Amino acid sequence: MQETGTVASGMAGPGGGAIARGGGAILLLVGGIGLLARGIEAGFALPAGAVAAGVGAVWLALEWGLALRRARSEASASERLRTERSRLRSEKDGLEQAYRELRSQQADLVNSARLATLGSLVAGIAHELDTPLGSLRSNHDTLRRAMSKLQVILEDERVDESELDEVRRIVRALDGVMDTNDLAMDRMIGLVGSLRTFGRPDSSERDRVDLHEALDDTVRLLEHRLGEGVRLETSYGRLPRVECHPAEVNQVFMNLLLNASQALEGPGEIEIRTAARDDTVEIEVRDTGKGIPEEHLDRIFEPGFSTRGSRMGMGLGLLITHQIVDRHGGQIEVESEVGEGTSFTVSLPVSLPASADEGG
Amino acid sequence: MTRDATGTVLVVDDEEMVVTSIESFLQLETSHRVLCYTSTGAALRSLEETRPDVVVADFMMPDMDGITFLKEIREARPRTTRVLLTGYADKGNAIRAINEVGLYQYLEKPWDNEHLKLVIQNAVERARLLRDLEGRMEALEEANSELSDLRRRLIETFL
Repeated sequence: MQETGTVASGMAGPGGGAIARGGGAILLLVGGIGLLARGIEAGFALPAGAVAAGVGAVWLALEWGLALRRARSEASASERLRTERSRLRSEKDGLEQAYRELRSQQADLVNSARLATLGSLVAGIAHELDTPLGSLRSNHDTLRRAMSKLQVILEDERVDESELDEVRRIVRALDGVMDTNDLAMDRMIGLVGSLRTFGRPDSSERDRVDLHEALDDTVRLLEHRLGEGVRLETSYGRLPRVECHPAEVNQVFMNLLLNASQALEGPGEIEIRTAARDDTVEIEVRDTGKGIPEEHLDRIFEPGFSTRGSRMGMGLGLLITHQIVDRHGGQIEVESEVGEGTSFTVSLPVSLPASADEGG
Repeated sequence: MTRDATGTVLVVDDEEMVVTSIESFLQLETSHRVLCYTSTGAALRSLEETRPDVVVADFMMPDMDGITFLKEIREARPRTTRVLLTGYADKGNAIRAINEVGLYQYLEKPWDNEHLKLVIQNAVERARLLRDLEGRMEALEEANSELSDLRRRLIETFL
């Protein structure tokens, strides 16, 4: 009895019925034994009834034993289920954690790719500034030197003929300095103007822009990176102003042009072609570079895919490009032939879909 | 102002504003003859008429890079001192190229006028010294051949 109680108290729901049945069997068994004892007492007065009761009791006891075993095995199955469930739960937690980490790593990679584009942009600006700034600096110095020479001459009470000649020489030397300064300043002002669309602090700002201006600005900042013997041709169609996030679209152009310039190993040609088709515009960037093997064509928009080594931030340019074009409700297509070159065609709707504001 | 050595300086950069600035400065501060070109082709053609002491060339030019251009200058005028002008962004490439072809100097954009003057002054001086040396070598060779001639005649006279 005690053992049954212990088992029962340690049991959960599923074994309950078996215990009840087990309890009944015990009562019958006790009753059978009682009858048997009384039969012995009565000098086997009712032997047949007692035997029948005993058989019943034994059968019930067997039944009870089986039920108990069944209950135990059901209990251990449910125990296993519980362990399995908690194992799965912790596995799921682990996977979720890994997924979160991957997402954050991908975001880091995308950021580093953006930084790589920014790096190209900065190098472009530095190169573009070198010339006008160098000129202005030199001219400023020349003017200061000329001024102090003139001051020395004018300090005398009288200016003689040879000094006048020197004044004439100085003035002659300065011929062209002022015009050059104007040119240099205009160049720098233009440069800052072209950066304005790149450097918008709020990239979610939408605007209707002239894509040709955006392309020219991008070309200007990248031109110095084109190697020797690389020709850049533009063939622009008539485009309407396109509603977009200008900073992002500039990044698309920059990525495609960088990609084209990297595909060229030595002399070659990059062509930018634009055309309007119904409610969309098409911008094609074609290079005469090494081309992309067919087996790679499906993978070029995947994160981290690059044939140019595994440098941080590489191989994400096209992923970002794809994401931006996607957010603008546009499409990007690639055609390539090994040894012939590659062409990327971006088509963008003239009007931005409403959902495009969620990006950026 | 030091205007001792006077030479001919050829400046080549595809950017008009760069050559004008260098020209203005050199005209004010030195007595060198300054010739400016915005294309390497025109600069190379000018070699038919002039013998520059110094050639200053930009590194990044659309028709020909500065290194190749200065190599051609060396072939046409071996004693000309060659100086490369480079933008900051191209410095690494330029320095590698300079080491390969052995140039006299390089100047970084945006350049410092005083430094430019010093480099050009030294380059002119170097070209003048080289020319001097060459003149003396020629004179020596001439004297040497005269002496051999004399020796030959002496031997002929006495033997």
